[in-house]
Amino acid sequence: MKRGMLTLVAAFSVLAMFRPLAAEYKFFAPRGSFTVEISLENTDRLRLPIYRNAITSLTCIGDYAIGGTRANEGLSPFLFAASLSSRSLEVVLDLAEVLPGQRAIQSGFGRVENVFYAGTMPDKEGSSGHLIKVQFANKRFEVTDLGEPVKGEGTFALTADSSLNMLYGISHPSGRFFSYNIQTGQVQVYEETAVTERQLAYYHHYALEPEDFLSRALVVDKSGRVYGSRPVNSVFRFSPQSGKIETLKDELPIVWGRRPLGRVDSWALARDGTLYGGNAGDGQLFKIAPLTGKLTNLGKPIMMPRLVGLAFGCDGKLYGVAGALPGYAHLFVYDPNDSGFTDLGNPKFPLHVPEIAGELPWRGFQIATVAASEDNRYILMGEDESLSQLMVFPVK
Amino acid sequence: MREIRIIIFMALTLILTVFGMLSAEVTRKNIRFVEYPDFPDAHSTWSSIGYSKVHQKVFIGVTNHRDKVGLFEYDVNRDRMRLCGFLPELVNLRDFQWQGKVHSEIIEGPDGCMYFSTDGGESREEYLMNHPHGYGGGFFFKWDPAEERLTKLGYGMLYESIKDITMDRISGRIMGVSYPQVHLLVYDHQKNDLRDLGRVGSDHVPRVLFSDWFGNMYYVDWRQRLVKYEHDTGKFLFSRDSLPAFEGTPGNRVITGITACAEDRANGVIYLVTYGSKVVAFYPARLGFGKMEDLGGIYDGDPEVRQPYDYYCPNVALGDNGMLYYFIGGHGSYVDGEERNVLMEFDLRKKTKRMVLSFRLKEISEVTGSGVKDEGGNVYFCGRKRDPGAEMMGESGASKPFMIIFNPTKEIAP
Repeated sequence: MKRGMLTLVAAFSVLAMFRPLAAEYKFFAPRGSFTVEISLENTDRLRLPIYRNAITSLTCIGDYAIGGTRANEGLSPFLFAASLSSRSLEVVLDLAEVLPGQRAIQSGFGRVENVFYAGTMPDKEGSSGHLIKVQFANKRFEVTDLGEPVKGEGTFALTADSSLNMLYGISHPSGRFFSYNIQTGQVQVYEETAVTERQLAYYHHYALEPEDFLSRALVVDKSGRVYGSRPVNSVFRFSPQSGKIETLKDELPIVWGRRPLGRVDSWALARDGTLYGGNAGDGQLFKIAPLTGKLTNLGKPIMMPRLVGLAFGCDGKLYGVAGALPGYAHLFVYDPNDSGFTDLGNPKFPLHVPEIAGELPWRGFQIATVAASEDNRYILMGEDESLSQLMVFPVK
Repeated sequence: MREIRIIIFMALTLILTVFGMLSAEVTRKNIRFVEYPDFPDAHSTWSSIGYSKVHQKVFIGVTNHRDKVGLFEYDVNRDRMRLCGFLPELVNLRDFQWQGKVHSEIIEGPDGCMYFSTDGGESREEYLMNHPHGYGGGFFFKWDPAEERLTKLGYGMLYESIKDITMDRISGRIMGVSYPQVHLLVYDHQKNDLRDLGRVGSDHVPRVLFSDWFGNMYYVDWRQRLVKYEHDTGKFLFSRDSLPAFEGTPGNRVITGITACAEDRANGVIYLVTYGSKVVAFYPARLGFGKMEDLGGIYDGDPEVRQPYDYYCPNVALGDNGMLYYFIGGHGSYVDGEERNVLMEFDLRKKTKRMVLSFRLKEISEVTGSGVKDEGGNVYFCGRKRDPGAEMMGESGASKPFMIIFNPTKEIAP
């Protein structure tokens, strides 16, 4: 009896000894999470081919995740729709079929009722990107070319204000802010956010290109004002009432010496109207109180730069992805009520491939986009790889 | 008449000798072990073994599985193992450029030099800052046996290990795979031109790349489909079909791909062992993908004890008698529920297999190495044995490494 107890104690001691080692292998793998295979080279299945599938724009309508991709040079991007209930890719559209000469849909989607809008990046430098209207109905995409908002430039970021029927964007490479009236098609371009010659010289010292310093996302607050970042490390606010752009007094949070890297990577609008943003430069989460324009640095969820996506879950918590090359993604959650971060770690969700095996474990390393389902019960993450997949997890 | 009798006698003797070779039983006299000198805290070896035809030497990367990697050389003709040196001293690595092990095979290039890559070690340190000092990333290396000079050919990806490499035997281009992000890297080191083909894998990094005699290089994607870098066209191709697998093979075994390979150049075939415990005959083609033949499982055990896909075999070699030989066991997976490592003989003609030797884990706990063979028909593997006296290295346990020489047709034991 005594001997048996001793064996038991010894066995538990050995197990306890192994616990710290095993802990490093815990990935974020909540029950009900899944990966949808969006990309696969050389297949008869409906999949996107290699080097044309980085999921750089992502949103959701009903049961469908809607994505826009970025391609490598000389290749065209896709629009795709994946069903969350069947966990499969169901519709794809090669953008070149309706709008040739484009390389990426990376602006993000603006939504007005059930219609999505996006901006494209041209394949050739000096060519023009276009605004596109995307309708998805009866498992079919209908894309309308709305023209070139800024001649000779692409659209780097885009958002929509459904109450005013307006689109707002940032052009690439100049960084101009523009508005587009959906009803009239009228475009207004504003110079205030454009990078100046002096700023270009400053960025040159840091080997930065427009892709590195332009605002990657725009957001509209509850009173219709539009926010984004502008060189250097500043946040601007556009008022559609006055037609004026102001620069907020508070800069984006910095880590000493890395100020030039600051720009907005992502936005999320809370129910109470607070704006939450991610700073690409050092991966800080921050918030802006729209009434005062005060910016508060909430800190860094992980040690890496970038904070590529944010979305609120139905639990009222903010989910985000921090980290990118040369590291890789950590999913984190921020609870505005207790002001705390939890690093959920690297996501690992099952990929359903019945023809090969039941499920293949899939890890997300490079993530480009984060979105929530319409009911905020699912958080979606779009990968940024040579063969990118869609990763989805339920909010408990 | 007398001359005819002598000729008949000699012919009969020759036939009997050959027949005897073919049907000879493999015993412990066909195998021997060689220790690594001057490295008392040596812990393990991985796929880190290769043979130089030019110099008739076997090269092995041996590690303490923390921060010290020794390069060893076994001179076949002199039957002598020696330490060439430790990587930091051989190539002036700083402390922050520490390397955990050589996980890749060691390949002879068209220039007669030996090529390999390095790895951070324990996977708990995979993220760049999980290690207290960070991990900068794995290097590509070249060892020149003639000059006895190690050259650092540069990083693959920042903060990523390079788990394995293979080589375009014609151009000398290297293809490697990064860990943990499974990026395929094609590196023309002569031009310092490294092309990142992107991520091709899933949760686990398949550990084996291989090449064919046309200069093509191969890997697998997450569906266990062959991925090919085609020498003639420079194209990056994916096979439409997955490698053969047992029904019910779980996904975590599918995504891990191939564990070992051995080449039969004369018959134009490369034998692959999969992580799903299959032996596959692959007939490479210059362009596109060649024929694939499922030769069955690596072990016919009791499915009540262990599923047919659930054996661990990170090694294989083709004997001069035309049989495949491989050891099964390791990483907690053993045949028939017994903690032992077994040497299997696979008769390619009859497609039958049998266990020829069995070892306690304190003799052999795990074996690695793919198709490393000298002109005398000696096959070389990296061996490890359980050693409670050795330092415990996390998930990799406490072990001592040694080299295995095996010759199925000749007694070589001292």
